[in-house]
Amino acid sequence: MAYTITDLCIGCGMCKLVCPVVAIEGQPRKDHRILAARCIDCGACGRICPQAAVKDPSGRVCQRIRLRRRWPKPRISEAACIGCTVCVQSCPTSCLGLTAPGGSRESVRKAVLVSPKACIGCGFCAADCPVGAIEMINPEPF
Amino acid sequence: MELGCTGKILVVDLTTGRIRPQAVENAVYENFLSGLGLGAWYLYHNIAPHADPLGPENVLGFVAGVLTGSGSLFAGRWLVVGKSPLTGCWGEANAGGAFAPAIKQCGFDAIFFSGISPRPVYLFADGNRAELRDAADLWGLDAGAAEARLAEMHTGRKRPRIACIGPAGERQSLIAGVVHDGGRLAARAGLGAVMGAKRLKAVVLAGSQRIKVYDRPGVVRLSRELSATVQNQPPFVSGKVAAYLGRLVRALPAQMETDGLLYKMILRKWGTVGMNQMSIEMGDAPVQNWRGTHHDFDLDTSAALAPDVFTRPVVAKYFCYSCPLGCGALVEGAPGTPPAHRPEYETAMALGPLCLNADAESIFRMNEMLNQAGMDSISAGATIAFAMECYEHGLITRDDTDGLELTWGNSTAMVTLIDKMIRREGIGDLLADGSRVAARRIGAGSERFAVHAGGQELPMHDSRFDPGFALHYAVEPAPGRHTVGSLLYYEMFQLWRQIEGLPDPSRFYLKRSKYDTDVEKARMAAACSQFVNLINAAGLCLFGAFLGVHRLPVFQWLDAVSGQPRPPADYLRIGANIQTARQAFNFRQGVDPLAIQVSDRALGRPPQSRGANKGRSVAVEKLVGEYFQQFGWDRRTGQPRKSILEKIGL
Repeated sequence: MAYTITDLCIGCGMCKLVCPVVAIEGQPRKDHRILAARCIDCGACGRICPQAAVKDPSGRVCQRIRLRRRWPKPRISEAACIGCTVCVQSCPTSCLGLTAPGGSRESVRKAVLVSPKACIGCGFCAADCPVGAIEMINPEPF
Repeated sequence: MELGCTGKILVVDLTTGRIRPQAVENAVYENFLSGLGLGAWYLYHNIAPHADPLGPENVLGFVAGVLTGSGSLFAGRWLVVGKSPLTGCWGEANAGGAFAPAIKQCGFDAIFFSGISPRPVYLFADGNRAELRDAADLWGLDAGAAEARLAEMHTGRKRPRIACIGPAGERQSLIAGVVHDGGRLAARAGLGAVMGAKRLKAVVLAGSQRIKVYDRPGVVRLSRELSATVQNQPPFVSGKVAAYLGRLVRALPAQMETDGLLYKMILRKWGTVGMNQMSIEMGDAPVQNWRGTHHDFDLDTSAALAPDVFTRPVVAKYFCYSCPLGCGALVEGAPGTPPAHRPEYETAMALGPLCLNADAESIFRMNEMLNQAGMDSISAGATIAFAMECYEHGLITRDDTDGLELTWGNSTAMVTLIDKMIRREGIGDLLADGSRVAARRIGAGSERFAVHAGGQELPMHDSRFDPGFALHYAVEPAPGRHTVGSLLYYEMFQLWRQIEGLPDPSRFYLKRSKYDTDVEKARMAAACSQFVNLINAAGLCLFGAFLGVHRLPVFQWLDAVSGQPRPPADYLRIGANIQTARQAFNFRQGVDPLAIQVSDRALGRPPQSRGANKGRSVAVEKLVGEYFQQFGWDRRTGQPRKSILEKIGL
């Protein structure tokens, strides 16, 4: 599907930096553009753009979330998690990992957000969890 | 393009270095689905007849299944495919871990390598690009060390998933496999040697592309229900009980139809080693190079290899991608090293009772050596057992073995021998290509000690105990494999519940009926072949399939992913197409299926005079023609008819 950048772009390059799959090209202070074939629809560019210059695949202008710590983050239910590692694999920034080995044959290593700062709030982990153990929450609501 | 699939494959010519993505027509997915089916279609068309498996004409494929990444469970399996240098036939090796989704996340359903690289290389791919890179500094490294080095070199946002060969594949040992996730293997058929011959050290994947399915909430609804069944674990499962249960099964003249949920409970607690003692007692695990019985490895002896022995050092369960069960396990490594993968049943039995070895520590050690070298533990153990019997009969001597006393159960000698096989040093060079090649080189009648089917060392499931294994060992296009079908597997799959006309076995039957050669046996085997081909086209795990189709919603998942519901029989038809493609591949390569023999010992020729399989022999030839007929192939020769081939685009 792919996100797009409009001519409101001022070439600040924030989108290019945050994109996890090198799908955005552009020179400083020049219009940036998204390579549609590479875009994985994570929405990070839309959340970071200070100029409201990014549209989502359905054409809606994306809303900026100025503070990174307010971007959606996964909340993983330890009770519901079965340790299947799908979310770890789905994450485009490798910010999810597994808890340390518990030291016995009963130990199930469950999913945990090991690098919250690397999380871009894409929600793929929640979308891909085969047992619905993850929901995306806004950590500090307004 | 089938939803759930990417619609593309990556084609790499290692001779020229040319890499290109290629779209795959809908018709291919309709006839063969993805995964193994895609591999069968591609290899049939792209490997020239009579190709040298270690030459440039062979194609090595890495294939992922349609359900991987769709929200299904048990969907983390992938396969390596290619012409086997060990058997000369269709070759495939199945593995789990974390590699399967990584293939699709690069935007491909499969990656195929042809040619031979002039220099050692590895493939790096993400969702945007694919490149061959110099592997000179990696060549010679153990698999784990190579993986670690590659992970250090590729520190992008996405953690890479890696499949590679170890020194065994580099030295083109015909029993080498492909290693991933720190020491798990796609081990069988010698495909590691193909990778080594191509000078391809590793495949490194770091993509993040998304898998599209028609009804993901529907898929997840099915997965949640299944997950609850799998998590449910009774507290009473005990190791000693399991061992004595094996004795009971041996003693009784009748047995019950097996429910795969029992196996699930064993797997969840101990993993595959849960069967260690029970299998020996029942007559499922072959003992002393298929010559012995439980009398030669009794309960007191096998206690040294009890399930609890293998779970004591476990630090955590290991889960393949999207698995709710977690039959794997990580065990403490040597000080300063990361945890290693626990030995599996096949490894423990092939290096254990098959060689009359009761030294568990040596098995842990040899398992790790083989995992790092990238060598198949079944074939390694079976080849050592062969060598031990040759040594016993004086066909090889201490002069040949560089002073090693290859006596039964000599674990110290076994560890040294494994090291020699990995290095191809001395007698290790003789044995590094498996037992059939070793027997040819030794001569002097040693062939009768090599227990294999078409060159593939037989796994640790005695075909004298379950004759269903014998038929699959003999007729599968990749011979000598235990992961397709048997009478036991047919019972566990429970296909008759959802597909009309399939044999519905009795809940309770006399053991001797297992050895009858009625046409029903052929129909059950054909159903197993079709169903497991479908499982492998979907990327599902055999252990999930053992739960039975009334619990594992494979057909419903496939419907939800594609948005085009089909009756289960249609999916089995795809499984039949895949079987035909693999069989046709063999004919195209000049293989005569009737020339593939299962060793006499495994067929009870002559029958054993004591033990669980006393007096048993298997008249497998009586069923071969019937089996061929189930697929519409020529009854006498096994050749697929032209009309069938044309219908499916071959």
